[in-house]
Amino acid sequence: MIAQAAPSTPPTTVPPAPHKAARRRRKPNLFRTLSRVLIMLIVIVQVYPLAWLFLTSLRTEQDFATGDPFALPSALTWENYARAFETGDLGRNILNSFIVTMGANILIVLFGMMAAYAIQVLGFRLSKLVRGLFLIGIIVPVQIALVPLFIDYSAVNLLDTYQSMIIPLAGFSLPMSVYLFSSFFEYIPRETYEAASLDGAGPYGIFGLITLPLSLNTVVTVVLVNSIFIWNDFIFANTFVLSEDLKTIPLGLQNYIGAMGKVDWTATFAAVCVTITPLLLVFLVLNKAMIQGLESGATKG
Amino acid sequence: MQPNRMLPNRSRTSVLVFLLPPLLLYCAAVLFPIFQSLFLSFFSWNGISDMEFVGLDNYVRMFVADDIFWRAFLNALIYLAICLVLQLGGALVVASLLTSLRRGRELIKTLYLLPAVISTVAIAFLFVRIYSIDPAGLLNQLLHWIGLGSLERPWLSDVNTVLAAVSAPEGWRFTGLYMLIIYAALIAVPKELEEAAVLDGASRWTLFTKIRFPYIRPVWITTTIMATTYGLRGFDIPYLMTNGGPGQSSELLTTYMYKTAFTSTDFGYASTISVFIVIECLVAVGLILFLLKRKAD
Repeated sequence: MIAQAAPSTPPTTVPPAPHKAARRRRKPNLFRTLSRVLIMLIVIVQVYPLAWLFLTSLRTEQDFATGDPFALPSALTWENYARAFETGDLGRNILNSFIVTMGANILIVLFGMMAAYAIQVLGFRLSKLVRGLFLIGIIVPVQIALVPLFIDYSAVNLLDTYQSMIIPLAGFSLPMSVYLFSSFFEYIPRETYEAASLDGAGPYGIFGLITLPLSLNTVVTVVLVNSIFIWNDFIFANTFVLSEDLKTIPLGLQNYIGAMGKVDWTATFAAVCVTITPLLLVFLVLNKAMIQGLESGATKG
Repeated sequence: MQPNRMLPNRSRTSVLVFLLPPLLLYCAAVLFPIFQSLFLSFFSWNGISDMEFVGLDNYVRMFVADDIFWRAFLNALIYLAICLVLQLGGALVVASLLTSLRRGRELIKTLYLLPAVISTVAIAFLFVRIYSIDPAGLLNQLLHWIGLGSLERPWLSDVNTVLAAVSAPEGWRFTGLYMLIIYAALIAVPKELEEAAVLDGASRWTLFTKIRFPYIRPVWITTTIMATTYGLRGFDIPYLMTNGGPGQSSELLTTYMYKTAFTSTDFGYASTISVFIVIECLVAVGLILFLLKRKAD
């Protein structure tokens, strides 16, 4: 098929087997070089600020205030980290972020799977409508919920609790989870269910014995993708949480802005480095799974 | 019988058992607040005194009498445009270039995605320093070196540059995410199609516009919708870096709504603005589907 397409343009007869790898090499090498350089440049733009952040956290305060920002630190110091831990309660913040992320993820996975199971496997008359309802949650911005939830929470005494963050974070992530699970459930062959049914398993048994164990990969995807957003949530935490004890990482970092907006930058950068480490480690270890998840999340949704 | 029913015998209760808990959570967190906002937008209320029904007054105020609203709306559109160019344009370029590489693709994907893992508060801190003038931040220092010293300025207090300056970090943050998605679509383009076109003498540009792009169009629509809805809900970075200032020069609808609600405690009017934001998102998604789908036919 390829050989047939070829003779249409070249004036000379094309030999049936062109010199090895010629097709690749014939393209101007300039393009390849140029695109490599361009990619390198863009990657530097993406990564250098983060590297700079880390380097700055190791600088002495004076070096930072006077020196050339691109220069390597004149001396490395861990003092900034000591001050960072003195100023804020980073351990507490990380623990809180962890609690909120876990809580929201449990709801997202369990409820997402249940809803997808009801829609995709059990089936009911209004399933199309329910699917449509979930679509709304993907489109509308989270800010719509701030004022109403603030009012509702103060009515039922939920302000300033873990739940006040977990509920909207889980609610707004639920639609994507439902879609990912239902598109996965489509691939479980009908015969599997029929066989289980004949063996006497009811809808609950099938959910626990077949659907749940089979979807472990999708669970990983859903958890990884949502964790990025939940771990870093700022807006819900900032709106609903006041007490120091409940502050998550993004709020904790704000404590580093002192009175009159004065900031101890090197200590702040040290704090930033401490707080991004957990998620960064997870990301670097599991980046294959995470990348796959992000890709499938968008192409299926 | 339902076509999508896979289990031959399941009771109605079992459907409810599986469906109700997720639906309740979703209603409490998402659907009900939407209606509540709509309801509140017809009232004047500061959260303490009695609610007062004002009919369409809030809407009239918003459309007719509120200059800040229009300023914020315009800013939000510019913010969106900058984000879209950086995110989708950048993503498409990098994804295309990446397909021509033979080695190191995985590494570049990982590095490129790195900023997406960092919290917005950390990013705001970082960019405040990048834009800083005294001591010179990375950007001003770089301009100085390449001989564009005349452009050095305090990017965040200059009313002409502040909006672009708060938009760029958002673009920077998520371009990797969209790049991944587009890259995955690009490598799924059948090799035979591309090779046939190359043998026919198609240039790189024709190859891209005639073969690759049409093939990835569905994914492009999805990413455009994602980037647009995310751009329209952009809040954290402008709020943290400038809080809308100086003046209103980096005020977005979202930051304006937030301040109206939680600084001026004008819940009614804030709800009116958030209803507008929702409608804006729905219209944007509708427009994208209309424009991009129509071209495909």
